[in-house]
Amino acid sequence: MSFMGFVLSAVAVASALGVVFNRNPLYSAFHLIVNLLAMAGVYSVLDAHFLAVTQVVVYAGAIMVLVLFVLMLLNLKAGSGRKLGIFRPLCAIAVACSVVTTVYPAVESNFKDLSLHELQEKAWRSEGTVKAVGEELYGRYVRQFELSSLVLLIGIVGAVTLSKRKEGKIGPREGGLGGGK
Amino acid sequence: MGSGDLRLSLVVLAPALGALLSYVIGRRSPKLSGVIASGAVLVSFLCSVLLWQQVGATGSFTATLSSWISFGDVSLPLQLYFDKLSAVMCLVVTGVGFLIHLYSIGYMAHDESVARFFSYLNLFVAAMLVLVLGKSLPVIFIGWEGVGLCSYLLIGFWFANTEYAKAGRKAFVMNRIGDVGFIVAMAVLYTQCGTLDVVELGQGSVLSKLPAGLAFLAGLSLFVAATGKSAQIPLFTWLPDAMAGPTPVSALIHAATMVTAGIYLMGRMHGIVELDPAVPAIIMWVALVTSAIAALTALAQNDIKKVLAYSTVSQLGFMFLAVGAGQYAIALCHVVTHAFFKACLFLSAGSVIHGCHHEQDMRRMGGLAKAMPITAICYGVATLAIAGICPFAGYYSKHAILGAISGTTNPLLVAAAPFIGYAATAIAVCTAFYMARSFIMTFLGGYRGEGHPHEAPLVMTAPVGVLALLSVIGGFLLVHPITSFVTGPLPATAGEHGSEGFVSLLIGSLPGLFGIALAAYLFLVAPREKELLRRIFSPVEKLCGGKFYVDEILQVLVVTPCRKISGIAFRAVDQRIVEGSGSALGSVTQAVGELTCRITTGQVTTYVLLMFIAAAAFFSVFSQVR
Amino acid sequence: MGSVVTYVGLSLVLFAIGAVGVCIRRNAIVVFMCIEMMLNAVNLAFVAFSKLQGNLDGQVAVFFVMVIAAAESAIGLAIIIALFRNLVSVETTDAAQLKW
Repeated sequence: MSFMGFVLSAVAVASALGVVFNRNPLYSAFHLIVNLLAMAGVYSVLDAHFLAVTQVVVYAGAIMVLVLFVLMLLNLKAGSGRKLGIFRPLCAIAVACSVVTTVYPAVESNFKDLSLHELQEKAWRSEGTVKAVGEELYGRYVRQFELSSLVLLIGIVGAVTLSKRKEGKIGPREGGLGGGK
Repeated sequence: MGSGDLRLSLVVLAPALGALLSYVIGRRSPKLSGVIASGAVLVSFLCSVLLWQQVGATGSFTATLSSWISFGDVSLPLQLYFDKLSAVMCLVVTGVGFLIHLYSIGYMAHDESVARFFSYLNLFVAAMLVLVLGKSLPVIFIGWEGVGLCSYLLIGFWFANTEYAKAGRKAFVMNRIGDVGFIVAMAVLYTQCGTLDVVELGQGSVLSKLPAGLAFLAGLSLFVAATGKSAQIPLFTWLPDAMAGPTPVSALIHAATMVTAGIYLMGRMHGIVELDPAVPAIIMWVALVTSAIAALTALAQNDIKKVLAYSTVSQLGFMFLAVGAGQYAIALCHVVTHAFFKACLFLSAGSVIHGCHHEQDMRRMGGLAKAMPITAICYGVATLAIAGICPFAGYYSKHAILGAISGTTNPLLVAAAPFIGYAATAIAVCTAFYMARSFIMTFLGGYRGEGHPHEAPLVMTAPVGVLALLSVIGGFLLVHPITSFVTGPLPATAGEHGSEGFVSLLIGSLPGLFGIALAAYLFLVAPREKELLRRIFSPVEKLCGGKFYVDEILQVLVVTPCRKISGIAFRAVDQRIVEGSGSALGSVTQAVGELTCRITTGQVTTYVLLMFIAAAAFFSVFSQVR
Repeated sequence: MGSVVTYVGLSLVLFAIGAVGVCIRRNAIVVFMCIEMMLNAVNLAFVAFSKLQGNLDGQVAVFFVMVIAAAESAIGLAIIIALFRNLVSVETTDAAQLKW
């Protein structure tokens, strides 16, 4: 692992922990932006240049703007819901640790036979320039690429339908939990 | 056999399919339900007729529906067997059944759950046909239980009324007691003879394997089974209570067909019944006592259906008298004629009840002959038939039974035969008396009820008319042909028939005429003497009205000890062992449930966590596998 | 070679952190962000495997994941807004009508 890769990895992990353990959702969102940018750097280290750029534009840009926008819109105060006990975080962390420690050795053992020469050969072929990925997308994957536009269209329609208010209804719907407030 | 197989299967399958269709389709369109059910029985009837026409030449048909029990060298196929005996029963069940289905279309037209009714009714016909056609005792037992179930369902048809539901339960439990006899008989026969096939059990070489004591046990067990189904002492009190069901049900199940299953079983198994002469003797005495008690009880009943119910019990006793005398063919004849006139009586009574707005008490009827002439004529004809007046149907079979009693060759009965004959004649007088009484109270005199009685619609009067016609000519046309027809499967009938002159016909009708005349005198001409007689005989009447307290005696002798025993068993076995293990199981389930209900919090995050745990477990297992 | 496989390890760690976040956070928007993070972790694994396998299929897969993620974020945030409109809260513990 290169020095650059190591630094970016460290930043990614640190900011990920920041997302999870920050009490304020806004800070979580900022940490997530840092995390996504660090990930873009990691992609770049792994020679996936096109994806690195797309990551910055789509994730760190568009999606996070959307998230921040929603956060602003809802203007949340401190949580009103039921508190989760200490048991659940411990349980979750234990499970997470066990997943990492069981899966990683399996993956590593699967690829330990690769020789240096082989890997350099492969690294050359997997250079993710815009041209190379574009040829793949408009070549072998052109149908899936076109279909993905359909998915996005349906996403747009769904989002509009879900967030549209019913006629003449302002505020919480009757019968909902917060209906009386 | 070839085509016989298909037609024979169709005889049973048509009503079975009809039971399904009449419910499924009938729930959408109730009017179709009755048509489908009647059509199914008609198909069955026509198939029976086709088979009956050929059975004289071929002797019997066998149809294998499927294999049922098969393990090791035990093999028990689901087989139907059509011989001359089943032919007669089949024709009665499907023929009378069809007419009663037709009648029910009118009678049940305004009921909410008409589809359920016809479905049950068709199911009953199917079960009854399985009973009649079963080739081995277990197959007969399927039908035996099936008719019991349908009887229970139909007695309690209006289960919203608790009394009716209880009547259904009583019938069910009493029938189960009889079933114990059936099962014991099957067990004895299988262990000793190694077969349960009715044909093989009719062969002397197979029957000779039965040791003397066990032969008595087998025969008696079969008779116990028959007492349950055919309402003989001590298991007869369910039948009057069974009148809680709709009237067509009373006609079909509790008069014409199901209650004759005991007679059929006796006839089918006559080889075993006759092995020990003590069994026919017991049958004879039980039948006589039942017949007498039922006839006396019927004298004091005011509910028109109750009169008919007790009369049914009494007539069944008559059939068993013939069985006890060894004249199964004559018993079968009485089954047939009884099916005609009793179905006719019940259906007429149903028309009366229908016309009088569900009034069953004869004290609030009277003078109905003007309002419903057709029904009155039919009821009158059937009354003459059951009273045994020549030339109506009942005369021939009853006369034959009286002849059979005097002609018995059973060494245990020869001495008592004259007495039994006189007693049976007295019962015949009694029968004529109470039937005439019911006719007079219902149809003659002035109307004592409320509202305006009206004649039943054509769909109801037509079947009654057909049955009335059969009650007139049935005996004359059928009794002698039937006795000679069924000679193959049943022993030949002793004694000569058809040579009676006019005088002997008149003499034979005398008991009936006397009973009718007495009733007419007391109820029409001289009511004052009736009151006088009533005062003199009031203790007797009380005894009769109380059904001879058979229910109460059963209560003390059977029900209370049973309750005590079952109470002990309940405390020792049920509460400790069964309930203990049950509640242990329950508390474990509850504990597990409470544990899992903690998990089922509705919290999405909890579900996600569980999902991750499962995925982690999955991963760890698979990484180990590699 | 070890160094590329290490990125798969990084991907696993990020995925696990995201999973922990989904499990322990009550704010639906934070849960949503954690899910995005998990998707990213998977993307990283795709890129690393792409390098290990010597072809671009993994990177194309990442592109499609991004498309889906964009659509998913639009829908997901719309659902959160609808949830808020009904409950005046985006706490997942308040949305517990799925119980029993």
